[in-house]
Amino acid sequence: MELTAYQIVTPLVAFVAVTYAWNLVVRQKKTLWEALLWTVFWSGIAMIAIYPNSIDYLTAITGIADRENAVVVTFLGILFFIVFYLVIRMENLEQRQTRVIRKLALKDLEKKL
Amino acid sequence: MKTIAVIPAYNEGAKVGNVIAEVSHYVDSVIVVDDGSSDDTAQIAREAGATVLVHLENCGAGAATMTGIDGARILGADIIVTLDADEQHSSDDIPSLLKPIQDDEADIVFANRFGRRNRIPFIRRLFNGIGNIITFAATGKWVNDSQCGFKAFGPLAVAQVDLRMSGYEFCTEIVRESAQHKWRTAQIPAKVMYSEYTLAKGQSFASGIRTALKILLRSFLR
Repeated sequence: MELTAYQIVTPLVAFVAVTYAWNLVVRQKKTLWEALLWTVFWSGIAMIAIYPNSIDYLTAITGIADRENAVVVTFLGILFFIVFYLVIRMENLEQRQTRVIRKLALKDLEKKL
Repeated sequence: MKTIAVIPAYNEGAKVGNVIAEVSHYVDSVIVVDDGSSDDTAQIAREAGATVLVHLENCGAGAATMTGIDGARILGADIIVTLDADEQHSSDDIPSLLKPIQDDEADIVFANRFGRRNRIPFIRRLFNGIGNIITFAATGKWVNDSQCGFKAFGPLAVAQVDLRMSGYEFCTEIVRESAQHKWRTAQIPAKVMYSEYTLAKGQSFASGIRTALKILLRSFLR
């Protein structure tokens, strides 16, 4: 079987992601369950990269067989990623604000002691 | 062992005084976290004898609970009991909640509103069931009433708990913490008293969906 560059890089990225997840488990920052979910997800990505024919049925169901459809779906994916990224950034800002408010609340208690 | 009750409260001026009075029989002191209320929650809680920590803005039940836990740590708590400020939990259940910790059988004790005969509206049972399933999917740990705010933390859990989620997702995060730190858990049947007031205070369907999405997303990206 002749492999393209994409078919080599994607499983490598998946391997790094899975290794990183299990590393977080060892460092007790991720639970076993979360690492398992992560492993299943990235194994799926690697599988699709190596055996692209394995999702042939998806093209049959969704009709994303031609180039135009694929472009639309790709851009939808990119838009989804941008929105997702913004949501995460907003959450981070919200968390920062919460941390400040919580610290102020506790400062009063520490002063009293 | 020094036991402190933590009560997160948002606009609970009508109920929080009674809750403090009842809880005080079973714990050494009470901390109320006023989560940016626009009513007199903080003042009533102070008058009832609680230590009051004030959030300048509303941050959510999770953030308020974590502030209360940090406050209890500062005051030297060995055991922390968390409960809602809307009178839905019965303080008479506190001794049975504390027992597994005092007997050194558990590090965290979850109250289970479905473990005994309680009049719980069908929609609440349904939402809590969905909450349990989502919690299991995100944490791999099954808890019969994962979304209940009535819990007791033993010394190990008091030392290790670190909640990052600000909203109602914190209940699932506590289950995650218990799985991650391998805390010994116990579940105790508890009484719940739903009234029009408590039902009006609960999560709406839309906020429930938002909470579920946040839980799944966070557990995946953590």
